[in-house]
Amino acid sequence: MKNIARLFFIGFLLFNFWGRGFIVGGSLNTVYAQEQGDWKQEYAEICAKTQNAMELSVAELKDRIERADKLQERINKLEGPLAETEKKVFTKRLKMCRELYSFALEYKEHKE
Amino acid sequence: MVHIKKILSVFIIALTVPVLASAADYSESLQYLLPPAEYFGQVVLDNYSQKAGVSPVTFDHWLHRAKFTCRLCHIDIGFAMKEEMTEISAADNVNGYYCGSCHDGKRVFDGREIFDSCAEDYTENEGKRCARCHSDAESGARKYKYKTFSEKLTKLPGNLIDWEKAESEGKIKVTDFLEGVSYKREPLKAQDDFSIKTKTWTADVIFSHRKHTVWNGCELCHPLIFPSTKKGTTQYSMKQIMKGEYCGACHMSVAFSVWLCDKCHITPVKQ
Amino acid sequence: MKKAIFITGLLFSIIGIAFAQTGVKKKRPLPYEFGRVVINNYSEASNIAPVVFDHWLHRAKFTCRLCHVDIGFAMTAGASDIKARDNINGYYCGTCHNGTRMFGDTSAFSSCKEESGSMNATCDRCHSLGKNVTRKYDFREFVKGWPKERLGNGVDWEKAEEQELIMPYDYIEGVSIKRAKLVVQDDFKIVSKVKGMPNIIFSHEKHTVWNGCELCHPEIFVGIKKGLTQYSMVSIYEGKFCGVCHNNVAFPLLDCQRCHLQEVK
Repeated sequence: MKNIARLFFIGFLLFNFWGRGFIVGGSLNTVYAQEQGDWKQEYAEICAKTQNAMELSVAELKDRIERADKLQERINKLEGPLAETEKKVFTKRLKMCRELYSFALEYKEHKE
Repeated sequence: MVHIKKILSVFIIALTVPVLASAADYSESLQYLLPPAEYFGQVVLDNYSQKAGVSPVTFDHWLHRAKFTCRLCHIDIGFAMKEEMTEISAADNVNGYYCGSCHDGKRVFDGREIFDSCAEDYTENEGKRCARCHSDAESGARKYKYKTFSEKLTKLPGNLIDWEKAESEGKIKVTDFLEGVSYKREPLKAQDDFSIKTKTWTADVIFSHRKHTVWNGCELCHPLIFPSTKKGTTQYSMKQIMKGEYCGACHMSVAFSVWLCDKCHITPVKQ
Repeated sequence: MKKAIFITGLLFSIIGIAFAQTGVKKKRPLPYEFGRVVINNYSEASNIAPVVFDHWLHRAKFTCRLCHVDIGFAMTAGASDIKARDNINGYYCGTCHNGTRMFGDTSAFSSCKEESGSMNATCDRCHSLGKNVTRKYDFREFVKGWPKERLGNGVDWEKAEEQELIMPYDYIEGVSIKRAKLVVQDDFKIVSKVKGMPNIIFSHEKHTVWNGCELCHPEIFVGIKKGLTQYSMVSIYEGKFCGVCHNNVAFPLLDCQRCHLQEVK
């Protein structure tokens, strides 16, 4: 009984971390495609608080800056026909918002 | 070495004595440096005139100078300070900019309607009106003559009009505000007068902010002609002034000539 | 040694001022020309007339923030590096100028097209430098009856908005992020160092209504605390700090009294 359970467990793990790619193959592209579009959503979420940046806590500002830096890395790796334009445009847009958060963070840390 | 220096300085000072003493003959020598008084301040505008088949415009400052402050035309209306830099076209005038701000056939000034400037098309009859500007000053098309106009006004050496005295004697009344063109502003406090140290043997210059701002406001000179607000930051020489920069923007062509040295170099010679 | 350094420094500052083209006045743009930007990153190289962009029309319809933050235009001519391809891809001008986006009951005409080759009348609407192009909107007609001001465009934009003659868009669907409500920072005083010049009262409220926060901070104003960034009128005239906007699009610096408001006793 225990062995069967162990087998199931290992099978489960394999399925999740390795098998999924083969079994669910096609849908991986969808996931990837979604990821491609997700970055715009991520940008919208990160930069949604620029109008009240001074009200955010130090922790939240740091978090958003970190997310912005990660997002920038994703933007740098964009591919496709729109990639060149989107890299240029979103680098600028993201930079403005990231720098503002950094500005607000510096203000708060300086005050303390 | 010291002896030579002493001799040289005495020699130079000795030279200045006859120059200063002949101040009375000053105006005679000015005739070689200045144009005849009625042409002083004349500006010829030919950005597009000749191309359009009309005479270039000759604008004599003296008439407008007697009626309006420098500020009104050069700030409120927006004329540039250098010949042909404004690039005025007939269309601009017709649209009520530049000359057309006043010369629109409707604006009343001094109890009279100001004649209309440029028109889209003009007939031969209208040519007379065009010639009031698009002509040589002595062509006879002008309404006012310098000689008659300036007869009763006090003159400076060189037969130039002493505008300061003319105003203080009440002989001219200068307008600084035109409806529809000027906008009322809180007047900025007039800055102090100050002295400008010269680097040569000439007397220091006493610069009067008060006198200049009465006619020019602040914007005419700052920042384009004098960019710094801290005395001493902008360094310039007479050479640049003679080229029409700094003080020369006005005092080489329209305001009292730079050749009247003692109007600015006022303090006693350094001992 | 000190003297040499001092003289060199003095020389450099003089040269700096010399290059700043001082001492003479220049032509002042007419009301309909004020705010004009010529964009020529690639036009001339592609044998097309460079783009002439007059701010006043867009100024009346959109906030500064919408174009310069949401869409992402830079604040100096040429710095955005706009290509026809970017417009076709729906960015920069192409964000709105795609032939379908509606503003009220008009659609913004389509900018750059796929087919390269001959230019047409639509291209000329923007690529008009040196050409005699009749624009759709005539400046004088457009601002007729609007509250006037001196200098710049000759229009009191603030009053025009108060009187609802203009109602600038601040949000475009699919482009603008849904942001939290703007929290306005305080107005404050900037002390003028020149004796007799009134102090400046800086209104955060007026600026943020049109600009949001990111447009100025930190790119234009980097100091996190008032007084950290020191600047003079000279740098402003050179197009830095306040001069980024107030040299050629917002009310010009010639209008001293618009900022120097607080009489110093």
